[in-house]
Amino acid sequence: MSVRIVLVDDHGMFRSGVRAELAADPTIEVAGEAGDVESAVAAVSEHRPDVVLLDVHLPGGLSRPGGREVLQRCAEHLAARPPVRFLALSVSDASEDVIAVIRAGARGYVTKTISGPELASAIHRVSEGDAVFSPRLAGFVLDAFGTGAGEVAAVDDELDRLSSREREVMRLIARGYAYKEVSRELFISVKTVETHVSAVLRKLQLSNRYELTRWAADRRLL
Amino acid sequence: MSPPERPALVRPEQGRLLGGVAAGLAGHLGLGALAVRVALVTLAVLGGSGIVLYVWLWALVPDGATGTAWAGEMGRRPPGRPGTGGRTPNRSRDILLGLLLLLIGLVFLGLRAGWGDIPGLVPLLVVGCGAIIAFSQLDEVERSRLATRTGAGTRAAVLRVVAGAALVVLGAVLLAVQGSGLVQSGRILVAVLAVLVGLALVLAPWGLRMWRSLDAERAALAHQTARADIAAHLHDSVLQTLALIQRQSGDPTAVSRLARAQERELREYLYGPPEVQHATLAGEVRSAAAQIEDLHGVAVDVVVVGDEDLDERGAALVAALREAMLNAVRHAGAPVQVYAECGPQGVEAFVRDRGPGFDLDAVPPDRLGVRGSIIGRMERHCGTADVRTAPGEGTEIRLRLPAARTVEQRGCDEASADQRGDGE
Repeated sequence: MSVRIVLVDDHGMFRSGVRAELAADPTIEVAGEAGDVESAVAAVSEHRPDVVLLDVHLPGGLSRPGGREVLQRCAEHLAARPPVRFLALSVSDASEDVIAVIRAGARGYVTKTISGPELASAIHRVSEGDAVFSPRLAGFVLDAFGTGAGEVAAVDDELDRLSSREREVMRLIARGYAYKEVSRELFISVKTVETHVSAVLRKLQLSNRYELTRWAADRRLL
Repeated sequence: MSPPERPALVRPEQGRLLGGVAAGLAGHLGLGALAVRVALVTLAVLGGSGIVLYVWLWALVPDGATGTAWAGEMGRRPPGRPGTGGRTPNRSRDILLGLLLLLIGLVFLGLRAGWGDIPGLVPLLVVGCGAIIAFSQLDEVERSRLATRTGAGTRAAVLRVVAGAALVVLGAVLLAVQGSGLVQSGRILVAVLAVLVGLALVLAPWGLRMWRSLDAERAALAHQTARADIAAHLHDSVLQTLALIQRQSGDPTAVSRLARAQERELREYLYGPPEVQHATLAGEVRSAAAQIEDLHGVAVDVVVVGDEDLDERGAALVAALREAMLNAVRHAGAPVQVYAECGPQGVEAFVRDRGPGFDLDAVPPDRLGVRGSIIGRMERHCGTADVRTAPGEGTEIRLRLPAARTVEQRGCDEASADQRGDGE
């Protein structure tokens, strides 16, 4: 089944570059493009794509970063069945941007230096409801949840800490392992890896963890 | 805007007889020091007001060597003295003095009401005091327009101008009501106050607008400065790199190396943490990776979790990590992923590449650069290093360094064995 996407980025050159790269994958169809917050919201409503490739820094709108505002204004599509899913794509890997779009509902974050095939597989992963973690995002998670300092949750559904399994998965991703390699390393299925990653994403979105809040507040986010 | 060409009111170090008040006053008003002294002595003899004036000026006017507010004009501030530090006690002292003078004026008013002494002298004196206070603030008010002062400093200056003006008004009233009774002068005072309040009401919006425009001016200046900073930075970095890229457009390796280095630099400038004074492990790992990127033109992605101050053992780990990155870059090429984690157990670092990998056993013992510079170095610091590789699988080198405290408590071997167990 092919995946319909909408490309949101304020640089036309970058949009056409991504379009050309994704043309190599026949299962991905670019339904629409947008260059600012307003047109992005309109394009999402009009095309109802499976996945929106969303630049974090966008002109227009009332708040910054613009990508977060798009997510907030598309809340109904995010909650719909089937939902519109967002994958954030940016040159910026400043931590506040990463956290802003993830907490607003994006299901992953990749930087613009990602290769074409990798981007295509990330889009497929997001369209199936899984999360996409780059090594850098995994590093942020480990840092923000104090996992490096040895804090590990006793029960899996504790929101403010990672379980030891989730920690291991995050560490392997931070080390540059693909999901398949993680599954081989930990003797679990790829599906289980995806479950863990989605659980971490959920914690990242919902946690009230003190450090996370302070971290964001320090950067005038909340 | 033309600031008054007038020396600041300070008590000079040279040419002073007692406290330097007369000399300073003379310099400030452009009169002869002798004339000022004669005037002061005359005032002192006729009723003692000269003494009061002298003492007051002595207390209020800053010393030429250490003065801050007046002497600070146009960078003449003495070095080693922060611009705003130590001003708060000064300011409240000035305000107190102003209030004190007002009180003295009121006392004189009472005296006058009782028995007429020397006609016209006291009111004139009060007028003079007020005029001097207001006068000496002119410099400061002018300077505050240059947006170099904080709002608080400007407010204090305004307060003092107001106090001076109040003194002048009081003196003028005293002059006007000379010879009349207490009740009548009270009435006149009320009338004058009413007029002043009315004036203030009328002038308030105008004053407010002045204040706002001053604020706007200040903000614009700050904005301009920030813009100039950014422009200067972009000129030195991005524009230079773009020029280099255009000249080397035939060499894709050089272009990608330049672009990568510039990207990293710009990213650091835009999103990087504020510069730290001391070296930290995370910072050293990043800069080692950056150097290797520049040297070989291969992208090295670095993720660091946690951080700690760099000690001798940390430096050894960074050196070993650097060697591992070099190996990856030479034998495998991009992408190279580096992950380092600092925790209470110690430091762990991983370098992973997606190269062809190799058979570890097939490498002759003397050929393996890994052995001395990586494994040996780690073991000398109670750490461990191991290599995981297989043909077609890429290579991962992992370095572990137990925390210094663990090594002290349990000894080298046990500490490294402990951490190995923990990491798996």
